[in-house]
Amino acid sequence: MSAGSEAGPRAPGTGAGSPAGPDARSRRQLALMLAPYLAGLVGLVLLPALVTLALAFTHYDLVRPPAWAGFDNFTALVEDPIFRIALTNTVVFAVVAVPLRVLLALGLALLLHRRTPGAGTARAAALLPTAVPEIAYGLLWLWLLNPLYGPINQVLRVGGENGLTALGRTPPQWLTDPTDARAAIILVSLFTMGETFVVLLAARRALPRDVYEMAAIEDATGWDVFRRITLPLMAPVLALLALRDAIASLHFTFVSAFVVTDGGPPPYATTYLSLFVYQTGFEYLRYGYAAAATLVMMVLTLAAVLVQWRLVRRYRRFYPR
Amino acid sequence: MTTVRSKSLLAAALCGALAVTGCGSGVGSSSQEQIKLLVFGAPEELAAYRTLIDAYEAARPGERVQLVEASDRKDLLARLATSVAGGAPPDVFLMNYRFYGQFAAKGVVEPLDGRIAASDAVDPADYYPVAMDAFKWHDQQLCLPQNVSSLVVYYNRTLFARYGVPEPKPGWTWNDLVGTATAMTRDGRGLVIKGTEAEGAARLPAVHGLGVEPSIIRLAPLVWSNGGEIVDDPDRPTRLALDSPAAREALKSLVDLRLAYGVVPSDAEVEAEDDESRFLNGRLAMLMTSRRATTNFRTITGFDWDVAPLPVYQRPVGVLHSDAYCMTRGSRNKDAAWRFMEYAMSADGQKIIAATGRTVPSHIETSRSPAFLDPNLPPRNSQIFLDAIPTVRALPTVSTWPEIEDLSYGILENAMHRGDRLDDVIRELDAKSRPVFARGENG
Amino acid sequence: MSEAGLVLDGVSAAYRTETVLHEVDLAVARGELLVVLGPSGAGKSTVLRVAAGLEPVTAGRVRIAGRDVTDQRPGLRNVSMVFQSYALFPHLTVAENIAFGLEVRDTPHRVARERARAAAETVGCAGLLDRRPGQLSGGERQRVALARALVREPDVFLLDEPLSNLDLALRVEMRAELRALHDRLGATMVHVTHDQTEALVLADRIAVLRDGRIEQVGTPEEIWRTPATVFVARFVGSPAMNLLPAGGPLQPAGDPPALPVEAQIGFRPEAVNLDTGHGAPAIVDRIEVVGEDAYVYLTLEGGKPVVARVPTTRRPDRGAAVRVGVRWTDTHVFDATSGRRLAP
Ligand SMILES: Nc1ncnc2c1ncn2[C@@H]1O[C@H](COP(=O)(O)OP(=O)(O)OP(=O)(O)O)[C@@H](O)[C@H]1O
Ligand SMILES: [Mg+2]
Repeated sequence: MSAGSEAGPRAPGTGAGSPAGPDARSRRQLALMLAPYLAGLVGLVLLPALVTLALAFTHYDLVRPPAWAGFDNFTALVEDPIFRIALTNTVVFAVVAVPLRVLLALGLALLLHRRTPGAGTARAAALLPTAVPEIAYGLLWLWLLNPLYGPINQVLRVGGENGLTALGRTPPQWLTDPTDARAAIILVSLFTMGETFVVLLAARRALPRDVYEMAAIEDATGWDVFRRITLPLMAPVLALLALRDAIASLHFTFVSAFVVTDGGPPPYATTYLSLFVYQTGFEYLRYGYAAAATLVMMVLTLAAVLVQWRLVRRYRRFYPR
Repeated sequence: MTTVRSKSLLAAALCGALAVTGCGSGVGSSSQEQIKLLVFGAPEELAAYRTLIDAYEAARPGERVQLVEASDRKDLLARLATSVAGGAPPDVFLMNYRFYGQFAAKGVVEPLDGRIAASDAVDPADYYPVAMDAFKWHDQQLCLPQNVSSLVVYYNRTLFARYGVPEPKPGWTWNDLVGTATAMTRDGRGLVIKGTEAEGAARLPAVHGLGVEPSIIRLAPLVWSNGGEIVDDPDRPTRLALDSPAAREALKSLVDLRLAYGVVPSDAEVEAEDDESRFLNGRLAMLMTSRRATTNFRTITGFDWDVAPLPVYQRPVGVLHSDAYCMTRGSRNKDAAWRFMEYAMSADGQKIIAATGRTVPSHIETSRSPAFLDPNLPPRNSQIFLDAIPTVRALPTVSTWPEIEDLSYGILENAMHRGDRLDDVIRELDAKSRPVFARGENG
Repeated sequence: MSEAGLVLDGVSAAYRTETVLHEVDLAVARGELLVVLGPSGAGKSTVLRVAAGLEPVTAGRVRIAGRDVTDQRPGLRNVSMVFQSYALFPHLTVAENIAFGLEVRDTPHRVARERARAAAETVGCAGLLDRRPGQLSGGERQRVALARALVREPDVFLLDEPLSNLDLALRVEMRAELRALHDRLGATMVHVTHDQTEALVLADRIAVLRDGRIEQVGTPEEIWRTPATVFVARFVGSPAMNLLPAGGPLQPAGDPPALPVEAQIGFRPEAVNLDTGHGAPAIVDRIEVVGEDAYVYLTLEGGKPVVARVPTTRRPDRGAAVRVGVRWTDTHVFDATSGRRLAP
């Protein structure tokens, strides 16, 4: 086993005198392979994003041609109480739901990564909600959360009297109390962490086995193993997933808020930015205004990305190359 | 609008809306002659439009109409807007006068005066003027009303008979309504119960006296009947103005139904089972709603039901509910579209739609025919829809009215179910509606 | 040296359905350094894993320091292990890696660090304490793994090829160091290797393992002088022992022992004498010169190969015809079918 590194295979077409070494060549191939993706990215994501960016500075109602508005939309946003509520709701949701989702996914991944009987079934069950079409999933929750007839509150009322819980308190008013409704949306979002779960499952399985055997020989407790080994080893993946989830959280509130709570209870308890944008853009035909709100959303996303990127980089030092 | 049923429609709508937004131009017609009709509604209504189209294509060989189905109002608005933006709008669409304003103001809708004048088939005099007027924008007739309907009180006759409470009669007053609703709010043993006690969840009413949603369109006829106005200036509104004593009293009456008398279901109960389902299931004695519910209620087999006029405060006033066929300015087939509209507005066309029970035909003659008044089909008292027409009023036509309805709904819902102070409610309606009215354009 | 440090009593082990240890009996006395020697895939690592409790036994018992630990989890067995793959924690520094076992056992942080440093010094990696495994060479990692095992004083040390990745000089040095450490601690150690020199130099006793079975257990001297089987005989020693049929072309000089019909004789290359002038004729095929020694590869009449080790200065030429002589006193006799030792 030679420790010395071999020079990369030299392609037959590249003459020794040619400045384009194998490096440039492989780079060209890479570019070629990336081209379709880049074209799609530009055409389907970047251009619309740029158009949205431009429309944010116009008055545009989808019907008449856009008219230049300067920063009107943004000043209006600042003064718009609904937008402020939507913004707050969105941030609060992300701050609460994202860690919960990642933690839940992590917990499940750690519980179910072994090949034990039933683990396969349990993994499938954990993935299932993610596979259900979003709308159907929303409708399911509408039934689950029904304050009087829904199974959740039926269960909570077991042992209680007169429609109270066993502790003598009224069960959560999922669809009519603002706080409970926000909690409901978070609850709804928790069970769609299937993708995160799968990635963590794979990440956990990729961790070296001997390291855990070493810990077993040293009689490390489960908590020690989690704290000193599993968590730090998975931290980079966790950070990336949290990042991805934070970005996605701007969107995955949409269907549940749209279908389950309709943005309510009044006035705007579960109106998130995504719903706000949809309503102002498509229901009230204030497309320019909605574009401005979208822009704010994008900036917010970018901020979240930057913050978490720094966190990821801090963990990078564990794996110097 | 937070009913289980409407939400499921809404959900399905979203799928559609998303499909359309991406590809407005993908809806291009396959043949030159085929026109597209954009409507929304429950499955029975959509079936009725298919029947209408079949009848039309049979009567006029060569004409082809494609039905584009939205699942609810919001979906329809989104589809219309995006398809107009995409340059491929439907040729004809059906829309309520409360929501057509934003399209009228933006020049999406083709004025029809010239075609009406030249038409042998459509004579404006054949239709209820109140409905025709609702679709005039700057004195131009933009759309042709398919129906004219007003708010009525549906009631469960079987329940009234069981509890020995007199049925509502024309000319009954608001106090009669409150008294009747109170007498009809019963617990599981059939005893009169005050629904407000239900807050402690001690005893929940098994039957509620009345269902009415706390919306501006339900409140408006009450205010008008009491001699008030809901906006400062009905022609050029700048704010929701419920601060007059008459309007305030009407608002208080409405919220008292829940807060003082407990005759309407609480918000949690409404979320658990919306008023229409509650009525269908025999747990609601009376329901204040428009003709729309009839289609659904005709499926009832377990009990007998009928309709009564709105109770009167001081003078009888109703609120107009009306949808119309509108032609888009961007249509590439305006003549074909107009021919279809002529047919849909004719007695034949109106009869087909009236057969669903969903509409009160805007065609005066059809509305008086058995197609609408058929005594064998409930409600027996359909005549009261017609009797109310002379007294109905239209809501203001402002392009931003949909936003006004949405924002006022939240405030009014909290007023009724959370018991917000009336002064605050009125002030909030005023303050929040001002910028929206200011952005709007008037017809 | 009679008290048992580690006992495997008829232990079998299997991965899924494939049995890789067959009723292994092994007793390591307290304070003894036993080397498990065997070719790749013989089951050496498995012996250690079974002792550590990382693999369950399918039969037999495991005892450590007099306790039956067969059903105990690894953490309760009080062993230290160096993994063949090192099993270092990639996210911890060398110091943290070494101190890991102490810290999870709630040793005060400062004490743990001090002992980690001491252990690192023993194996000569004290200069690496702040690095992470990713920043170490293979040999450095191995030393860290060794230090991590040495930081505690368990009942048994289980060392799985702890020196395999070191260069020769370092290996020789570490070998001596390890032996000294063992003597100083009086520790019970099981040391796995496939390097026979390492085994011979280091061991109190050697257990030779082959296909999951113990071939022979004995002192290095016993293993060398009286290999119990052909396998042991050929596995220990380089080049391997010559084997010929007893009645074949080469007849050792001296008094022959009583031989059964089916026997094989074996003699080490260094026992071959090419200078006697009598003996079996042979042709020199090739010669490998390793410094002072030369390995002469010969073919006897009849085609049997023989290797001889001679001083380089007295090596024959390639292609030369020589005579191969051995003496019975340098000859081992094995049963041809079972491979077992018959005499002397
Ligand atoms: N996890 C496993 N699953 C299945 N078979 C295994 C596993 N680990 C080892 N084996 C098999 O068990 C046998 C013994 O393996 P073991 O690792 O004990 O050998 P070894 O003597 O340590 O070899 P080496 O010197 O190469 O490390 C081998 O045949 C190997 O293929
Ligand atoms: Mg091994």
